[in-house]
Amino acid sequence: MRAPTTRRAVALLVAVVLACAGCSATTDAVGDRATPTGGPPSPAGAIEVTSLPGSEQADTSCDPTASLRPQGALPGPNDLPPGSPMAKIRGQGKLIVGVDQNTYKFGFRNPITGELEGFDLDMAHQIAAAIFGDANAIQLRVLTSAQRVDAVKNGDVNLVVQTMTINCERRKDVEFSTVYYESGQRVLVKKNSGFTGIDSLGGKKVCAAKGSTSLPNIVNSASKPIGVQVPNWTDCLVMLQQNQIDAVSTDDTILAGLAAQDPFTEVVGKPISAEPYGMAIPKDQPEFVRFVNGVLERMRADGTWAAIYNKWLSELLGPAPAPPQARYRD
Amino acid sequence: MSAPTAPPPARVDRAAPAGRVDELRELSRTTPGVLIMFTAGLVLVSVLVGLFTAVSVQSRAQSLDDLSASSGPLSIAAQDIYRSLSDADATATSAFLAGGLEAADVRARYDADVAQAESALAVAVAAREPADLADPTGPLAILSGKLSVYTGLVETARANNHQGLPIGAAYQREASSLMRDELLPAAEQLYRDETARLGDDQDSAGALPIVEVLLGLLGLVVLFYAQRYVRRRTRRRLNTGLAIATGAALVSLLWVLIATFGVMANVGASRDDGSAQTDVLARARIATLAARADETLTLVARGSGAEFEAHYAKVRDQLTGDGGLLGQASGLATDDTVSGKISAANTGLGDWHKVHVEIRKLDDAGDYAKAVQLAIGPQDEGAAVRFDQVDANLREAIAATTATFDDEVSQASNALTGTVIGVIILALVMAAGSVAGIWQRLKEYR
Repeated sequence: MRAPTTRRAVALLVAVVLACAGCSATTDAVGDRATPTGGPPSPAGAIEVTSLPGSEQADTSCDPTASLRPQGALPGPNDLPPGSPMAKIRGQGKLIVGVDQNTYKFGFRNPITGELEGFDLDMAHQIAAAIFGDANAIQLRVLTSAQRVDAVKNGDVNLVVQTMTINCERRKDVEFSTVYYESGQRVLVKKNSGFTGIDSLGGKKVCAAKGSTSLPNIVNSASKPIGVQVPNWTDCLVMLQQNQIDAVSTDDTILAGLAAQDPFTEVVGKPISAEPYGMAIPKDQPEFVRFVNGVLERMRADGTWAAIYNKWLSELLGPAPAPPQARYRD
Repeated sequence: MSAPTAPPPARVDRAAPAGRVDELRELSRTTPGVLIMFTAGLVLVSVLVGLFTAVSVQSRAQSLDDLSASSGPLSIAAQDIYRSLSDADATATSAFLAGGLEAADVRARYDADVAQAESALAVAVAAREPADLADPTGPLAILSGKLSVYTGLVETARANNHQGLPIGAAYQREASSLMRDELLPAAEQLYRDETARLGDDQDSAGALPIVEVLLGLLGLVVLFYAQRYVRRRTRRRLNTGLAIATGAALVSLLWVLIATFGVMANVGASRDDGSAQTDVLARARIATLAARADETLTLVARGSGAEFEAHYAKVRDQLTGDGGLLGQASGLATDDTVSGKISAANTGLGDWHKVHVEIRKLDDAGDYAKAVQLAIGPQDEGAAVRFDQVDANLREAIAATTATFDDEVSQASNALTGTVIGVIILALVMAAGSVAGIWQRLKEYR
């Protein structure tokens, strides 16, 4: 038994000598491992805001919801006044509308069909029907909240129908139709989080879409929450689910759409502002504004508005209320 | 109590070595003394020349081993990581273009991409020292840390999509931005690192054999002087032992020279016909993937994707513009098969671009459904098929240049086979010949 042991020892010795001849270091140092930070990334474009320039005081220089009164009877698709913006739109073949694809029940992409749908979309289809006699003569352009005013101002779209609050600041750049929906800003939190409204969220992170009227309302709130701005409303819900923020605050309609996608959230608190929605139209097209208001009048009167409301919103917000009253400055 | 007395210090005789030096000096004045010193010097020089030449050849062989077993495969792995990650993201995003659930083959493609990225990443990680991974901002740390976050987000997106909820698209956007902002830049950095290591290995494997030549010449010069001294002192024209030693030194030098110049030629070819082309082709392939992702994302953005379309134009210019990647690849190509694939890819890119223009025209004119169908539908004249053709041609061209690289490196390794052992044996012959030759003369002084 002795000889093989010796031989093995010699073989081992030779192997060690050979191995050491071929290498400079015998042990790979592992080194100090820095503790990596895990967790989800932020959605693209998400940033914190604690103040917004020029938004300290609400602009009350105008009567925002007073629009232009329809003149005479609403013209049919085949007798649009020649040279009018409506005739031009008809000439271009389709009504180009700026919409959202991220606001559940208002303007969202139905993942099953791939189509954009919702309350706002149906409103836009009604305008298309009034111009073309075909509700589908419509070309959709998806915008983020921050892109809406410029898209109308630059003429990239004929119309924006995208949960857009009418206010004096925006009225400087675009014209609005009469109010087609009355919303109010509230707060969405996780169930059992203990938050009861914007007043209980001091120093907490509260999310809203960039360019929305909700963001200044959050930042300027007396309790001083930290605003977090993102491109799209669903990005807020993603961040809430990932514990990156504490609450989302915006129009109750949008919040209801978010809450519908996550049963572990709830809308809390009293409305902190009134958010009347209007369709944004280029400033230099009063004829088109009057025409759109005419279509809205007809929809209020003949039950179309209520039917569209019931189709999308009654499940979330209860049965249709009376349509918002039109106000005119003539 | 008496004071302790210190022991007397030990005395050391330091003068002794002087006697040895004197002895050596004495010896160098006699011919046998010089001969003995020559013998010692020749043995020393032979052993040193043999040893250092062998080490030098061995380190060249090591670089070749690294090329075939480490830096070569690792640069391929890095390229695979980059490619499969971009393809995974483009595929996952395109699933949000079609209505309904994504098609089974789309899902399978995503799964295959992720599996390939993970396996290539495991290879890349295993090849590094642990300390390289300790830096959390290093590319490998980012890739291994964030890939699972990415796949998690994609699965959340998919689960929400299955519920018919629009938040699924938001999760997909978050995943895509993680991919574009962190994972792909890290993969690109890794690819650049590994390609640079490949280049370094090629440089050291193909370096001029300066050390080897100098050592060989040193051996020959010492032998020359030894022979001249012996000839003058002993009046013999030829000393067999020293002649054999000189022959061995010459053979060794020539062997190393021939083998090394062979290696240099092969390594040069592995670069020119292999890796240099692979690099340009790989970048071209990654650029076409980026262009495809841009095409898809423009449609996903539905009218607000101008930035993606602008990026498409930029990438297309990188590919086909003046001095574009395909032009470079075509200029570098040294093989007919590769040239054929490149020109097929170029034609395919043109065909695809025509479809792309059509897609943009349809989408801009409001015919979104038709635009999407043309972009992701399975028909031959659709963008998906055209893109796959371009990708397949580039993939085959890369496979060809990679095979050439492997072939040249393996030929280079073969050229060095036995050189190390040969150099050592010849060095021993040189030492033995020197000893024998001088011993023969020394005997005459007895």
